[in-house]
Amino acid sequence: MSSKDLVLESAADRTTRFERDALVFTNQLYAAALRYTKNPEDARDLVQDTYLKAFASFHQFEEGTNLRAWLYRVLTTTFINSYRKGQRQPLIADNELEDWQIADAQSHTSDQGKSAETQALENLPDSDVKRALQEIPEEFRIVVYLADVEGFSYKEIAEMVGAPAGTVMSRLHRGRKQLREKLASYAQELGYVTSDKGGAK
Amino acid sequence: MSYIEIQCGEVLASVLFIIEGELQEIPQAKAIESHLDICPACAAEVEHERVMAQMLQNVLQRSCVEEAPQDLHESIHQRLLAQATGANSTEVITQMRMTEISIEIDEFGNIEHREIQIEQTHIQHFIDDEE
Repeated sequence: MSSKDLVLESAADRTTRFERDALVFTNQLYAAALRYTKNPEDARDLVQDTYLKAFASFHQFEEGTNLRAWLYRVLTTTFINSYRKGQRQPLIADNELEDWQIADAQSHTSDQGKSAETQALENLPDSDVKRALQEIPEEFRIVVYLADVEGFSYKEIAEMVGAPAGTVMSRLHRGRKQLREKLASYAQELGYVTSDKGGAK
Repeated sequence: MSYIEIQCGEVLASVLFIIEGELQEIPQAKAIESHLDICPACAAEVEHERVMAQMLQNVLQRSCVEEAPQDLHESIHQRLLAQATGANSTEVITQMRMTEISIEIDEFGNIEHREIQIEQTHIQHFIDDEE
């Protein structure tokens, strides 16, 4: 009827819309939160905080833009700003890109090395994959998770973590590399790869 | 000819850009492309990296599926409701009351007197920004 009615109605609608559109991501966000925080208690709190923050600024969210990406952005910045204080932070140089391009110049791998690596990945149990992810530095873990599990682009991830796209590429490269090394060594410990196949680095 | 322009090491150091289709981001893009055309070892390496990246994605996606505890869903719902209806919000109540009086006198001198009471109350909630 009056404009006041409209405002009143849209506030109620907004709550309904938020619950309908945003809460479907609870399991996914919880999975990310578990990998970020490494424990179920903090993961719960992080997901809850994420939803409350997102809801508080939901009126600024434009319909039609990517809600999932926006929720991951809130989740990631909330984690970076509030949950990792006091934790030891790995030192990462400012000139990451040049650094990895030079440091990482490599030689060709043998065919045996290649097949051993693919074999190792195929056989590893989920628990070992999660363990490896826990063990790589946080900056790398977040970027690898967002890119490889959630499939976000560099540009999206750069916005989420508040870093330039080049830095994101560099972290992704290093993160994947460390992850692969860990997975390969677990596979060897577990006997999925025999040493005569060239599983050693 | 272009083989001489760029070394294998340089190509391999840019492998992420190649497999992610972001080669245009680096200045040596052209030289790298022509190197790959004539160097089977580098081409094989790039192909291996592509396969590994895909496998790593599959393995991570498979391993990272989780289900949130049932009570978390409920607790989020309750907190959202609380936030929407009171806690952390400012309530603005607008009340309006008026009386409409009309008196009509017809040509025979009959007086008709009407009073209508109109009352309206609006309650609006503004969610406060945190921090």
